Amino acid sequence: MKRLMKSLLKPIAGVLLGLSLALIVTWFAGESPLKVLKVLFQSSFGSGYDFGMTLFYSAPLILTGLAVSIPIRAGLFNVGGEGQLLMGAMAAAYAGVVGKNIASPLVAIAFASGMAFLGGGLWGLIPGVLKAKRGSHEVITTIMMNFIAAGLTSYVTLYLIKDPESSQAETIPVPPSFHLKPFESFAGAPMGWLIVALIVLVVIVHYWMWNSVRGYQLKAVGENETAAETYGISRQKAWMFSMFLAGGMAGLVGVVEVLGNSHRFKLGFSADYGFVGIAVALLARGNILGIIPAAFLFGILQKGAASLDLETDKVTRDLSYIIQGLIILGVVSEGLFEWRKKAKNA
Amino acid sequence: MNPNPPVAIEFKGVSKFFGNFHANRKLSFSVAKGSIHGLIGENGAGKSTAMKVLFGVQPADEGEILINGKPVVIRNPVHAMKLGIGMVHQHFMLAESETVLDNIVLGHEPALFPGILLRNKARTQLARICEEYGLKFDKWDVPVRDLSVGEQQRVEIIKLLYQQSDVLILDEPTAVLTPQEVKELFTNLRKLKQEGKTIILISHKLKEVLEFTDAVTVMRRGEVVGTKVTSETNEDELAEMMVGRKVSFTYQGPRKILSAQAREPKPVLKFVSERVSIELKPGEILGVAGVQGNGQTEFLKALSNPAVYGEKYFKGKYDYHINGREIGDADPIRLRQMGVGLVPEDRLSEALLKKQDMTENFLLGQHEDPRYTSWGFLGRMIDRGKAKAAVEKNIQAFDIRPSFSTVWAGRMSGGNQQKLVMARLLDPQPSILYIAHPTRGVDVGAIEKIHDAIMHERNMGKSVILFSSELDELIDLCDRMVVFFDGRVHGEFARKDFDPWAIEKVMGGA
Repeated sequence: MKRLMKSLLKPIAGVLLGLSLALIVTWFAGESPLKVLKVLFQSSFGSGYDFGMTLFYSAPLILTGLAVSIPIRAGLFNVGGEGQLLMGAMAAAYAGVVGKNIASPLVAIAFASGMAFLGGGLWGLIPGVLKAKRGSHEVITTIMMNFIAAGLTSYVTLYLIKDPESSQAETIPVPPSFHLKPFESFAGAPMGWLIVALIVLVVIVHYWMWNSVRGYQLKAVGENETAAETYGISRQKAWMFSMFLAGGMAGLVGVVEVLGNSHRFKLGFSADYGFVGIAVALLARGNILGIIPAAFLFGILQKGAASLDLETDKVTRDLSYIIQGLIILGVVSEGLFEWRKKAKNA
Repeated sequence: MNPNPPVAIEFKGVSKFFGNFHANRKLSFSVAKGSIHGLIGENGAGKSTAMKVLFGVQPADEGEILINGKPVVIRNPVHAMKLGIGMVHQHFMLAESETVLDNIVLGHEPALFPGILLRNKARTQLARICEEYGLKFDKWDVPVRDLSVGEQQRVEIIKLLYQQSDVLILDEPTAVLTPQEVKELFTNLRKLKQEGKTIILISHKLKEVLEFTDAVTVMRRGEVVGTKVTSETNEDELAEMMVGRKVSFTYQGPRKILSAQAREPKPVLKFVSERVSIELKPGEILGVAGVQGNGQTEFLKALSNPAVYGEKYFKGKYDYHINGREIGDADPIRLRQMGVGLVPEDRLSEALLKKQDMTENFLLGQHEDPRYTSWGFLGRMIDRGKAKAAVEKNIQAFDIRPSFSTVWAGRMSGGNQQKLVMARLLDPQPSILYIAHPTRGVDVGAIEKIHDAIMHERNMGKSVILFSSELDELIDLCDRMVVFFDGRVHGEFARKDFDPWAIEKVMGGA
């Protein structure tokens, strides 16, 4: 318990530090920090709808946070969450097109979720294979794959399965059996049992990482490749597997968006979830359970961004991004505290 | 030695605490000018802390340090360097991708005016330094990463000379060197001594301390046990001072004649290739001797991981059998199932996960062992309870310290890390053991335990291939020895023919 408190202390201190800095910035911009805090709180928790929306913004970040945290254990830095989630969402939308006659919601949702996982997973597997077989650096390849995914999904949306009845860049809608039901108390916010499922998913991944043989292998490779190889753990397999799993997690964003929200693939639906996922994983400090509060915090900020713009005079949407940036800096600056402690001891 | 030599460094009642822990308690000793002074003790005895205090990394909490008879307060390493104290750390502090020249002049660049580096001037200065101290070196424009470890060390020493250090502290300088490099190092150090430099040598290798120092200070548990004139002491006395009890350097236990050896035994292992061919008999320790870099590393890698290294080092052309079964390109997991155990050459880079605890490290290689795993809903799961119980049993059996299993492997001393690696090796009760450098960087006390464990296995009828760069260790333990030279088995000795002189000749290629 004490250890838990200790491990929580630093990220919380970092968040508070970043938040205070951000409030100072708003104060300079001519807005009362108290009002900013109030608006942020109101817009995230003020009503059932607001809370539902906050969860809706948090959900993709849980998944993209996982997509970064899992490969980090195997020593890889996955910057490709954005591309992987696009491919997952496209696969989910496509599942609705080919499976339009599936009447049972259970089968339909399972089918689309599997497709989303596979779509993202295979997209993540490609950089994994390149790393394992050719030694290509995963940061470079995942970034490249992001561009390809953006181009590819845009092509598929506009030319292959475009909704002929819509004037927007979006695919044919998935049939009603593919829809996830939101909670009524969220008054229209598109989030339901899915958020519970995602939290369970994080707990399962956490448990799996720490207690399964495969999780052990990933961690061994991430910590010491040579020792892992000496004792018969293949780094190639660990790399490919972790990237597949990570891609799959990002791909599940397709479930949140396509099955839960817009019921189709809309070009540009992702608010940089893949990249914010990196910040989420960073804030969670590699701790998989830590992704849940980290994603929730970023969900609050995203939700708050719009409200701040509307309800205050001086603060714009951009300020919310500044707050996000300052919080990341606050968390990263934890090294600063340690350095000061060292200087004091010496 | 001069009967009353001037004193270069004197410690007067120096103490250093970390909280309640005494890293150093009232150290008092002096180092004569122009001498090589050994500072020995087991890991954790406080040698490094003492030198960090001297080098200004950590201030002393008590007592004073005198340099050339004058008391000084050393504020930081830069200050220490100004006072003429230089240190070569165990892990070198060089910028790998920069050239030797740039590394050496860093911080003391000869410049026309700030910003314009006069490399040629530096080059002539360095050449003069090398000539003056009889050091052979001229690779000034080579990036440091392309140098051998021995050469990198020489660069560190030249750097100190360039900074005009009078007192050179060397922290375990031989730990990373080959025997030949060790010889060169000490030849160089002797020349530096003749030129009036003072050298403090931190070590836990008694042999080299006895051979190369003028005086030696022994530390134990943060205190100075005593300072001896080297020519008036011996290995046994120093070891007893270090450990606090009598220590034997040779294996004292029984060496059983096994019934299997009396008959003409069938080999348990055969490895036949163009350059290297060996057979291993039941109940024998086969030593692999040789100067580092003569093919032993490659042979061990191919033996222990043919899946990766069989092709790489032997082009797949080898015939490898264990208990009559073809090995081919099996992986380490498969070999383990066939009863093979391994202690790899380099403990930190090959055998341990530094940032994980003892249980995780104990599982490395055993992570698929059914004793510690079971099938579950999410695939094969590790049974941490069982693994932890096994670790705790082994902590007792091998006297591993600290004795709680949650400590990170990287935070344990070399000797205790090695005990953990040995415990992991023996846990699945292997019948064939590949053991490399089991006592490298290990305390005297732990060496005894490790040797006992290896002989115990042999006496139980297990077979061992022992790789070591310490010829004494091989002579002491082995039943038979092969000597590697130039990638081949160059000679073979039966135990009755073990003659260090003859073996060394073969190691040199004769």
